[in-house]
Amino acid sequence: MDRTMEAILSRVQKPARYTGGEYNAVVKDPKRVDTRVAMCFPDTYEIGMSNLGVRILYGLMNELPGVWCERVFAPWGDMEEEMRREGLPLYGLESGDPISGFDIIGFSLGYEMAYTNVLNMLDLAGVPLRSADRDEDAPLVIAGGTCAYNPEPLAPFVDIFSLGEGEEVTVELIRLYQRARREGWSRQDLLAAAAGVPGLYVPSLYTAVYHEDGTVAAIEPKEGAPELVTKRIVQDLDKAYFPVKTIVPSTEIVHDRVMLEVFRGCIRGCRFCQAGYAYRPVRARSPKLLVEQGIAACKDSGYQEMTLSSLSTSDYRPLEGLCDGLLEWCEPNKVSLSLPSLRADNFSMGLMQRLQHVRKSGLTFAPEAGTQRLRDAINKNVTEADLMNSCRTAFLGGWNTVKLYFMLGLPTETDEDVLGIADLAKKVLQLWRETAPDKRRGCRITVSTACFVPKPHTAFQWEGQVTREEYLRRVKLLRDNMREKSIVYHWHDPDTSFLEAVFARGDRRLADVIETAWREGAKFDSWSEYFDLERWLRAFASRGLDPAFYANRVRSREEVLPWSRISTGVTPAFLWRERERAYEAVITPDCRKQCTGCGANHLLEKGRVCDE
Amino acid sequence: MSEERIQFVKTGRARYISHLDLMRTFQRAFLRSGLQVRHTEGFNPHAYVSIALPLSVGYSSQCEILEFGLPEGADRSQVPERLTRALPEGITVTRCYGGGRPVRELCWVNYIITLEYDAGAPVGAENAIRALLSRESLVVTKKSKKAKSGQVQVDLIPLIHKVDYEGRRDAIVLDVVLRAQNPGLNPALLVETIRNHWPEAAPDYVSYHRKQVLDKDFRPFF
Repeated sequence: MDRTMEAILSRVQKPARYTGGEYNAVVKDPKRVDTRVAMCFPDTYEIGMSNLGVRILYGLMNELPGVWCERVFAPWGDMEEEMRREGLPLYGLESGDPISGFDIIGFSLGYEMAYTNVLNMLDLAGVPLRSADRDEDAPLVIAGGTCAYNPEPLAPFVDIFSLGEGEEVTVELIRLYQRARREGWSRQDLLAAAAGVPGLYVPSLYTAVYHEDGTVAAIEPKEGAPELVTKRIVQDLDKAYFPVKTIVPSTEIVHDRVMLEVFRGCIRGCRFCQAGYAYRPVRARSPKLLVEQGIAACKDSGYQEMTLSSLSTSDYRPLEGLCDGLLEWCEPNKVSLSLPSLRADNFSMGLMQRLQHVRKSGLTFAPEAGTQRLRDAINKNVTEADLMNSCRTAFLGGWNTVKLYFMLGLPTETDEDVLGIADLAKKVLQLWRETAPDKRRGCRITVSTACFVPKPHTAFQWEGQVTREEYLRRVKLLRDNMREKSIVYHWHDPDTSFLEAVFARGDRRLADVIETAWREGAKFDSWSEYFDLERWLRAFASRGLDPAFYANRVRSREEVLPWSRISTGVTPAFLWRERERAYEAVITPDCRKQCTGCGANHLLEKGRVCDE
Repeated sequence: MSEERIQFVKTGRARYISHLDLMRTFQRAFLRSGLQVRHTEGFNPHAYVSIALPLSVGYSSQCEILEFGLPEGADRSQVPERLTRALPEGITVTRCYGGGRPVRELCWVNYIITLEYDAGAPVGAENAIRALLSRESLVVTKKSKKAKSGQVQVDLIPLIHKVDYEGRRDAIVLDVVLRAQNPGLNPALLVETIRNHWPEAAPDYVSYHRKQVLDKDFRPFF
């Protein structure tokens, strides 16, 4: 570490975020590797290090001979200021070397509000923002993660998008890169070859054409580029790479514990949920392997907390057996087990008793909507009776706090649905009064609402978001009708949700808006310290674009959607059918009851079936 | 359980691990090492560790002391190596021993403070610092969490046992022995005082190294 770095670190908050050197961080001899990769997460260290995907890809790439993958996070404002003043370019945490000299710079895109950080990090690295401005020697800029399912707003900045699960395609891409270098291909040749790899989308090989009214007329593939790029999946989760030996940060991060991924995909089919559609089909890990991995990961890390991760953990068939298997080791070893993502319709007494063995954390349920009609419309498939049963179980088990999550602005929502939330919260409170064995400490029901953001590749991808004013009117309606002392109401600010809705379903023209906003100082837009809606509105105005066109407008079935060259395996025809059923408030059974023919099963190899 | 101590070095990237994070790091390192150690009681048990004298973030040290517990009769000879292997880069356990003296008998600390000057040490800076630190009394105001006003007056002189000077072309090195606790003197306050009294001698960068901990008779504390 040189003097400049030491001087900088002495002046910034939480310097341990910028030093690397943690237990299990991979340090290789630069002379003995030929491919250097920067795994960039466009948010803080604390958030990025909590991301399981980053850890999987980091471990996986570092197992490849000749490859050294390092981590890079977005420096907080004070650090950025110091780096710019001292002329210190963005560097890999492991080596401290500038990433502008690396071969590949990869971004993990988890949410739209991190887009400005992608630009900021490229700029801090000294890498030209736009693919078109990068020369033959510049690092290859790639990106993956949930936001890659609509890559268009970032299209001009990224050379290659990786769609879906990265375990296999990342390796294929690195091999392709190595071959291109060995054989002296041009950058353009490499991009053309990458477009031929399933799951890789090369945006520069597609041209977007627009109608007069601003809607997309076509996204035309250039010669050789595929008509449709389908996401990649891992066929067998038991054989997939899992980072048992993983970095243990020396400073506290958001999810500072062992994370066990029990399954991918979701059987439910909630119509608003992008992950629920995009991560299909369901593939589970065997409980035996999970127990082994959990124990090994705890021993190797020294963590005393373990959590199960999936989209809906209580849908894991062998959950109770898994908990028993883990608890058998956890209890004598003083490791606590937590289970997020429980559903209100199958939170059982058996599960609760297992949870009571370990630390009692809060219970959170997400009914999402206040009335049965609306819950049916969004296909949440949770009834009031389910919620009451779960709450009863919890109250009888000694819990006195419950958190309930809802969305406002869902398609077909009326004021009656909004008031239904208040009703539901009051019924839960009344249930506590009737069932709680010990009332001395009182009860606290926390109701949270967020503004619904229509996402691509969902049944609601054609919907308009309610305006911010309308959302706030519904918030006020709910607040005015839910004044009980034991019920606490939090609502999410709609400004962020509005922009999220713009970028989630945006087209390529938004790239200019993102760049303009970034030049005007936008970064860390998911942080209230930095977010400034006015700055964004000015950026839209300066590029002659109306954000409401993207956020609030209803699309027709015929409209060419900007992400129409991307397939998650779920067909648009299925999504449209789901949308129609939503308007009829008809539910669609979950994948275990009946296959609804979404199309994702075609991603599986012959002989495999969903949710085996 | 027997009271045990280790001495460790904290240097390089590990200098930036804060006191609280360091405790957590050691708790996990003990579990990783597979050593059987004493755990705290209570709802959320973890390895018992106690670090004698918190070190400021960014300082290096070759004499940190940490207390923990081993079962009676356990072999302590393996502890330094096994624990070091389980620790992040920059932390090295140098020895493990029993029968350490009570921490309250740790009275003085020897720091090496290096005042660095990009354009060379200013002429007369060393003498000015000497003059400042050999006053009868040097009362400064420092922040205090306890005092109502948020600040408190301290006389630095009684908290300084000795200062040795070494002038280099681009640095002045202060080899100081400062009061450790009740009240202790953080070497950063000493440097701040130099800056305030003699801005011309203000360094561009300062590094702090804790070299030795001492008892009331200035013998090494263990």
